[in-house]
Amino acid sequence: MRITRRTFIQATAAAGILAALDGPILNSLASAQSGQDSGTAGNWMPSTCQGCTQWCPVEFYVQEGRAVKVRGNQLCKANNGYVCPRGHLMLQQLYDPDRLKVPMKRTNPQKGRGVDPKFVAITWDEALDTIADKMMELRKNNETHKFMLMRGRYSPTATELAYGTIPKMFGSPNNLSHSSICAEAEKVGPFYTEGFWGYRDYDLARTKYLVIWGCDPLSSNRQVPNAINKFGDILDRGTIAVIDPRLSASAAKAQEWLPVKPGEDSALATAIAHVVLTEGLWSKEFVGDFKDGKNLFVAGQAVDEAAFEEKFTNGVVKWWNLELKDRTPEWAEKISLIPQDQILRVARGMGKAAPNVAVWLGPGPVMSPRGAYPSMAIHALNGLLGSVDNEGGAHRAPKLPKSPFPKFDAYLDDMAKTGGKNKKIDQRGTKAFPAISNGEVGKGVVINNVANAILADNPYDIKVAIGYWNNFNFSCTGAERWDRAMAKVPFFVHITTNPAEMTQFADIVLPAAFAPAEKWSVISNMANLYSHISIQQPVVKPMWEAKADETEIMWLIAERLKAKGFPNIHDYFSKEFKDPETGATPMNAEEFALITTKMSSASVWKPAEPLKGDKLDGWEDFKKKGIYNSEQYTFKKHWGKFGKEVEKDGKKMLEGTATFKFEFYSETLKKYLGEHAEKHKTTIDDVLEVSGYLAKGELAFVPHYEPPKRWGDEKEYPFTFIDYKSRLNREGRSQNAPWYHEFKKVDVGDESYEDVIKINPVDGKKLGVKTGDMVKVTSPTGSIKVKAKLWEGVRPGTVAKCYGQGHWAYGRTAAKDYAKSIPKGGNNNELLPDDYERLSGSTARNGGFVGVKIQKA
Amino acid sequence: MQIAMVIDLQKCVGCGACAIACKTENNTQLRGKGQTFNWADFMYKTEGKFPDVNYSAIPVRCNHCSDPACMKQCPEPKALYKTEEGITMYNQKYCIQCRKCQEDCPYSDKDIDKEKSAYSVISFNEVGVDTHDFYKNKNELIKGATASPAEVAGKYAVPPYKHAYAFKDDKPPLKGQKSKGKGAVADVRKDGWVDKCHFCIHRIRNGEEPYCVVSCPAGARIVGDLEDPNSKASQLIKKYKPMRLKDNKGEWLKDGEKGTQPNVYYIRNFKAEAKSA
Repeated sequence: MRITRRTFIQATAAAGILAALDGPILNSLASAQSGQDSGTAGNWMPSTCQGCTQWCPVEFYVQEGRAVKVRGNQLCKANNGYVCPRGHLMLQQLYDPDRLKVPMKRTNPQKGRGVDPKFVAITWDEALDTIADKMMELRKNNETHKFMLMRGRYSPTATELAYGTIPKMFGSPNNLSHSSICAEAEKVGPFYTEGFWGYRDYDLARTKYLVIWGCDPLSSNRQVPNAINKFGDILDRGTIAVIDPRLSASAAKAQEWLPVKPGEDSALATAIAHVVLTEGLWSKEFVGDFKDGKNLFVAGQAVDEAAFEEKFTNGVVKWWNLELKDRTPEWAEKISLIPQDQILRVARGMGKAAPNVAVWLGPGPVMSPRGAYPSMAIHALNGLLGSVDNEGGAHRAPKLPKSPFPKFDAYLDDMAKTGGKNKKIDQRGTKAFPAISNGEVGKGVVINNVANAILADNPYDIKVAIGYWNNFNFSCTGAERWDRAMAKVPFFVHITTNPAEMTQFADIVLPAAFAPAEKWSVISNMANLYSHISIQQPVVKPMWEAKADETEIMWLIAERLKAKGFPNIHDYFSKEFKDPETGATPMNAEEFALITTKMSSASVWKPAEPLKGDKLDGWEDFKKKGIYNSEQYTFKKHWGKFGKEVEKDGKKMLEGTATFKFEFYSETLKKYLGEHAEKHKTTIDDVLEVSGYLAKGELAFVPHYEPPKRWGDEKEYPFTFIDYKSRLNREGRSQNAPWYHEFKKVDVGDESYEDVIKINPVDGKKLGVKTGDMVKVTSPTGSIKVKAKLWEGVRPGTVAKCYGQGHWAYGRTAAKDYAKSIPKGGNNNELLPDDYERLSGSTARNGGFVGVKIQKA
Repeated sequence: MQIAMVIDLQKCVGCGACAIACKTENNTQLRGKGQTFNWADFMYKTEGKFPDVNYSAIPVRCNHCSDPACMKQCPEPKALYKTEEGITMYNQKYCIQCRKCQEDCPYSDKDIDKEKSAYSVISFNEVGVDTHDFYKNKNELIKGATASPAEVAGKYAVPPYKHAYAFKDDKPPLKGQKSKGKGAVADVRKDGWVDKCHFCIHRIRNGEEPYCVVSCPAGARIVGDLEDPNSKASQLIKKYKPMRLKDNKGEWLKDGEKGTQPNVYYIRNFKAEAKSA
């Protein structure tokens, strides 16, 4: 038995002995010093988080070579120097004991979920040799196109290093990014209205009416620290309305919660537009007005286009006539289940606050099979209210100076040129996949369809695949397809921090550096009216033998390919990349990582001309500060210039909208759909039909209502499933952190150490299900077993569950039993079938597209 | 002086940044055996029926009471004492591990699982069990290719559960206390120690704000001296009708009710008031 102080006192009952204890007990505070020193010395070192898509500039506090604390970069204007809870979780991700220490190889040739790969540790030498041999085999057999590189989380400035160069120089068209499982359909609305393919910023410091539509900025989907920072003041200054079928963190605090029936958002958006027009609340400054000043927008009545004089917009009357005139609040109430008086109140509030209204469009209503039109309808409200590119509204971000990498055309051999001309594996550009990205028809990635393509050998089979910082067997809907697809790929290399689900199908596994703390890179993003470029650097020595995915590992592979007779990639890396300070070329992987980082940030620390933002004094200054902040955004820059003709490679190209105006009637959509139809020798109506849309004729070119597509009929699958994101999700990678589970309760309605499905108590009663019961949740394509929680924050008839848990691999804390592939909780992607918003190629995961049934388990 | 914290519920979004940041600053261990070891924590409530639902997140922590119940039965010389700032401090030297403080503090329980409480501001590191025993585990997930927690911990002078700091309270305690004061603050508490918020005294005495305060992205936590009418905390308490917690069951002190005179004040509402049209 240990002698504790209590037992000691009980035993001796001698108070006088107390003094004698002072010595040993104080000595036990080995590191204690007297005085008021706040601790062991340390340094704050800048880097960038990348736990979500906001990529926050941060600082790590480093003590004796270990990162111990995190805060926002104090100089950053986008996050105001703060991190959200995700930032702090980085520490448990970095020092996760289940991270891979060394390369591994599989010794069990059989592949499948639950099949032990029997991984054994190998040397880098053996791993690289095996990879290079497999790649060279493709070159020998003249089938380089059967090589595929899949990119997960990445650094935007390093695109040319791995994703952009390796497949092309090797001879494959297959560089595939993860982006379309994220939120590409969110870009659809802004693109076909204002010609902007990108994520918007919102002037939260000045907005008077914030409409948060299908996202939860206090938790996820962009600029979380800035949204948290500004939210309370907006509630003082004005109104926040949240449109979300479940009570989100934002909805819980807002003045207005509109729990729309999942997927019926465009009914609500068109009804708001209807009220704005009938009540004369639109922006006369932006949209224009009737020539004689009299408002002719009367419910049910068509308007003569000639009666209205438009300013910076195109087709407001066409939109009214084709769609809006019948979209009354009474009509919308029946569809969206939002009471008409609330629709009226919100629409009037928005109109009154215009133009200082920000309609924040999130993935909820748009990452669904018919998501393009709600995307347009919701974003178009910013146009009607004149809040687009305006103070207190929805706008873009200042441009950042670019530092392009050297061209590699000279290093493309004949095999690379021919092989690269093959069709891409993901079937983009086929008739049913228009996949229009930023005006490029058939060019958007359809990442989740890669599994189907592999399974069908259509357009061909894949023989060698490399994936980095991705985990599609967990993160893609229809996850089970990826298990079959990856089991079919004969040789797969996974570059990953943890033994993830996708890793279980790998032949070679390489330990990846934890990017925010161990990797050299450069990241850019924006929020709060500022853009920035920030550094990622090894604030600590990488754990074990981890190496940077996009730089070091690609260099090592290139080096090995050179040794085996294909020098081009390595020649490009080693000859063309030069240190901007010294002109030195890289001699090894580490130097390559550092030089590429210096090159891709040189535009801000060694600018050709003085910059309008921060002034940096060379590389060392940038490294020390970790950030370049741009100048503040100036509004109304795009008014009258939403599109223009530009020359690209000698060809005249359209940039932005076809009319150069903000389009309520989208000539831009008509143009690109027309191009796709022409390519397939068919009509736009046909293209829309095979893409799953219902609109015909002119209606296709205006934002309009379509009922959502739903998997599973309402009889058999009566509950509409709502997927949402945790404020602690670091994109599905933080579930092995114990703090994730301790604080899971910070997600509104969730419980710590559980993965609950939330059911309205009315439905719970009908089902005979109580809080704490295990239930089996079944969709038409899969099922999971999780705990039920009866909760008033979801509408009867809908059930909500957070994405993130349900790992059957990844680590000891994430999985219930790693060795036996038993998940902890349930993965929503087992329930959600793979379906697409086909105009953009996005994976559907929201918008009420899946019905489920619930049975007591 | 009396140090106090004002928590602005309208600004608070319940995100958890303060609570996790506190764990990184103060090295509290993982939950276990009825102890939360969360010096900063939350209480959540959902009331009403769909769609009129009222949800709130209430950040909770040691109230550093002016009439601290935790000190009442602490055997003399008391391990618990008040510093000149009004912080309720703990001196391990005089603790006999009776855990009366946990029983007496209205915001604490000896075993939160048994009491079904949302939180406890005082935790206790069980005698005979190493703190942070997660990092004593020697199991590897994949033999030879992944590490054990113990192996990771062994790599560093400052192990993964630790932000190294030290502090010793050299000032005598407030007069009239049956305590000798002068507590030492260890970055990692050992088994047999009481574990509670010390208001980041190591930072306060260094002129820095507590770590939960500087880590709050909303700026919802405001620290100040109640005896200084010009402190921001005093001003906010004057401006808004503040509320104080009565216990860890979610009850508030009523008007005129003193309780243990907690020094954490809550202002405004988590859910915004509806605007008149």
